[in-house]
Amino acid sequence: MAGPFVLPGGSNLAVAATLVLLPLILPSPTLATEILIFAMAALACNLLLGYGGLLSFGQGMFFGAGAYLAAIAMIHAKVGLLVALLTALCSGALIAALVGALAIRRTGIYFVMLTLAFNQTAYFIAYTLDGWTGGDNGLLDVPRPPLALFGHIFSDLGSPTAYYVFVAVVFLIIFMASGRIIASPFGSTLIAIRENEARADAVGYNTRHFKIVAFAISGAITSLSGALYAMLLNFAPLENIQMSESILIMTVIGGAGSLLGSLLGAGSWVIISDILADIWPRWQILMGGALILVVLFLRGGIWGGIESLLKRCLNKKER
Amino acid sequence: MNRRKFLESGLALTSLMFAPPLLRRGFAAEPVTFYGLKSMSGAFASYGEFAEKGSQLAIGDYKDLLGAKPRYVTIDTEGNPGRAVRKVQEAIQQSNARFFGGCTLSSTALAVGKEVNKAGGIFMTPAGADEITTTEFNPSTFRWTVPTYGAIHQTVRPLFESNPKAKRWYTITPQYVFGEALLAAAKGLFKQLGIEHVGNSYHSTQEQEYSGYLTNAMAAQPDVLLILGFGGNGANCLRQAANFGLKSKMTILLAWTQGLDWFQSLGPDLLEDVYIGAQYWHQVNTPLNNELVKRVREVYKISPNYPLAGDYIITKIILDAIAKAGTTDGRAVAKVMEGMSYEGPTGTETIRAEDHQVIKDYYLLRGKAKSAMKDPDDLATIISSGKSFPDPIKRS
Amino acid sequence: MLYIFQILNGLGLGMIYFLISVGLTIIFGLLNFVNFAHGAFFMVGGYLCYSLVALTGSFWISLLIGPLIVAFLAWVSEKTLFHRIYHLPHTFHILVTVGIALILQESAIIIWGPIGKNIAVPQELQGVVTLWSFAYPVYRLFLIAFTIVIGMILWFLLERTRFGALVRAGSESAEMVSLLGVNIHRLFAQTFALGVGLAGLAGILSAPIRGVHPFMGVEVLGIAFVVVVIGGMGSFIGALMGGLMVGLVQSVMSTVWPEGASLMIYGAMAAVILLRPYGLFGRA
Repeated sequence: MAGPFVLPGGSNLAVAATLVLLPLILPSPTLATEILIFAMAALACNLLLGYGGLLSFGQGMFFGAGAYLAAIAMIHAKVGLLVALLTALCSGALIAALVGALAIRRTGIYFVMLTLAFNQTAYFIAYTLDGWTGGDNGLLDVPRPPLALFGHIFSDLGSPTAYYVFVAVVFLIIFMASGRIIASPFGSTLIAIRENEARADAVGYNTRHFKIVAFAISGAITSLSGALYAMLLNFAPLENIQMSESILIMTVIGGAGSLLGSLLGAGSWVIISDILADIWPRWQILMGGALILVVLFLRGGIWGGIESLLKRCLNKKER
Repeated sequence: MNRRKFLESGLALTSLMFAPPLLRRGFAAEPVTFYGLKSMSGAFASYGEFAEKGSQLAIGDYKDLLGAKPRYVTIDTEGNPGRAVRKVQEAIQQSNARFFGGCTLSSTALAVGKEVNKAGGIFMTPAGADEITTTEFNPSTFRWTVPTYGAIHQTVRPLFESNPKAKRWYTITPQYVFGEALLAAAKGLFKQLGIEHVGNSYHSTQEQEYSGYLTNAMAAQPDVLLILGFGGNGANCLRQAANFGLKSKMTILLAWTQGLDWFQSLGPDLLEDVYIGAQYWHQVNTPLNNELVKRVREVYKISPNYPLAGDYIITKIILDAIAKAGTTDGRAVAKVMEGMSYEGPTGTETIRAEDHQVIKDYYLLRGKAKSAMKDPDDLATIISSGKSFPDPIKRS
Repeated sequence: MLYIFQILNGLGLGMIYFLISVGLTIIFGLLNFVNFAHGAFFMVGGYLCYSLVALTGSFWISLLIGPLIVAFLAWVSEKTLFHRIYHLPHTFHILVTVGIALILQESAIIIWGPIGKNIAVPQELQGVVTLWSFAYPVYRLFLIAFTIVIGMILWFLLERTRFGALVRAGSESAEMVSLLGVNIHRLFAQTFALGVGLAGLAGILSAPIRGVHPFMGVEVLGIAFVVVVIGGMGSFIGALMGGLMVGLVQSVMSTVWPEGASLMIYGAMAAVILLRPYGLFGRA
């Protein structure tokens, strides 16, 4: 599944450029913010699927947990923006580590079903604890506190553009950090486990340990994106927990095994659904078709396709 | 809107920045734009399709509103509250959108109401959540639907009064905010009328299998089975109740249903002699409704149902109020709407100023036998109708 | 008394769940293929039932033709698509079949509209059997009997016929079977069509109980996987036992703790996977 990571430094630059261009090309910074938030969730899913080979149907649970916990921290404990995000990050890592520790005891379809069972359980808990989560009505009046550090307010994040800039900075940090993780010995071990777990085990790696850490990282990032989503909407709907399938589709269509692919995947999912929803409400057929095509012909997803196109062009020039 | 916006901006980034509305305003009045929030895709597509027809019909009637033909823009809520709220934010920020109508899901309606209120716009919805006009009230949001209290009072009371011997009632309730609200209203009324509540079964909103709950109900041997689930919940519960032969053993009442489209999906065999509460019924004899039925049959070749009639009247009320206010200032339009009386599908309806609740009739229907039907949509008879509303809650 | 009846009802429900999941377990057990489109094919079966009843006026004709149409659909998709991905990891099976499920769901909305449909219980099977103060629908009794017959036929087919022997051998070593001169591709396509055809059959038989709805596939898929995982993926007996267990739990829970019913069945599944990785009746 892995596309070779062609432009290590270059991809950071490419993302930075995209982040600047995105609000200019798109009709609104709000749309651009949504894309980045979903891209962050897809990227986290990608760390598990593309690099760890772990297909998780539990990403919605982390996304929803991040949204709820950040919102509850802000509403009940009156914490500020950064503390709320940190709460989401840490609790997401913790929940995912727990879920991961149980789920990775099994492989293949059993692993997938375990993540699904946990996701259903999380949905049930959120639905039942309606005093905290608002239940089916969703959690309303989620604040978006100003960006402040040690009493100094940098921005109130009230305008859509200001919030976009903030999310873009968070995204860039996450993207670069993920790139570093992938390139680190940890990342290469994870890929080795994906390619051949038995061998990695034989070489002496504690594969369980690596998978749990991968889960924790993925859960932390997903929860962070969930928290940012709640702040964008001022609202945390129960449906967040059912986002697992959408996050997976974005990841796979964009390209499992490439971090840039996740941005592309989330972007195309959001934009296609937005454009097509007006013309053709049955647009999900295309998503279904795209999934099949990617698995059959374009294993690297959209990014994989672009990469091979680029390579072909370069080769021609060299000739 | 998005597609158009997107192409516009994609093709000419600069023109987006430099083409100010000022230029256009020079030669023609800026048309009023109404935004319809409709679940066109996703799990509630059955609702959005009809709601969309209703809004379009109402918009089409207006040839001139404040000097120009009003525009209509659909926002697909996708049955996904998060995406719906984001699209509403976008419309407010990018297109200065102020007037919204629709929403199927309570959660979406509640969150959208907050966004529209921040922008000082107007939002009117046929959603079910009582919170819209009570705890989550805001000055911008209006609600057409009769609350759970009225739905219970206008169904349980007339049914009980027509057969006071039916004293033992059993309830089957979807366990979430809305189901609890219906159940609380029912319990209150049972006490008042001296009805014995012989038991209740809760089920989850995703439940498809009711045999276990129906078995509980059979064990309690009630005279009346009150089903509080609606949509798919209500449909499957009723279908299975009929399978289990409960229709001949007890009276069945569904207090809250979607109306005609839901009836059509079940058919006369199941509905015969079942009592059903409804917000709207196309056979209601009121001037506006007779006209609406005629027009909808002409234009769409169907009989209007609740989503269609609801979103039609919501759209019409807002446009009428804008015309009367003579401005697109949200607060001024809200002032006109508060206390406004108008001819609606259910007769003369009034918007209560204190909590923005529309005061209108709720209907108790009874399913007709197939042989008694005059046309395929003639699925029920109106047994009674009337208005029951809790007092508006006091706000400090 | 109530509990006794809930247990009886649970057993009946369990037979329905067995029927829903047996096709899934056959395809997994014999082809090692994970079919997330199982629920969608179930839904297609239900809609075909609706259309065939509307067209011919007979539930029995739809019961005869419907599963064949679904099986044919499955056969075509196996020939064009699924056989290409058998050799890939489960992850890819899931992705492709999720894609198929989305396409089927949205196509159903295009063809039949977004509103659900009702299918009447066939005239001959209306009415109830009364037991003390409880009633049980004749149709459900028929469904249980029918499922028992189908189960026996399936068992015979898979355990006692040449077809079954070949399929089982093929699942152990496809190469060996094809060396023996058997067309393994045809065999796999037939097995796939059989498994999916059973999903279609379940959809048709459930239609008079649950109606049909474009989004019903998702819920059914969940139940089917829970049943199959609890029983042991690929195990025929497991699907039966798993189905009965889930049916019993659900029925008894609706008296004891209804709001926890769905939590219980997913919790049970997670517990089984963790404690007995290959299910209660599965083989490693």
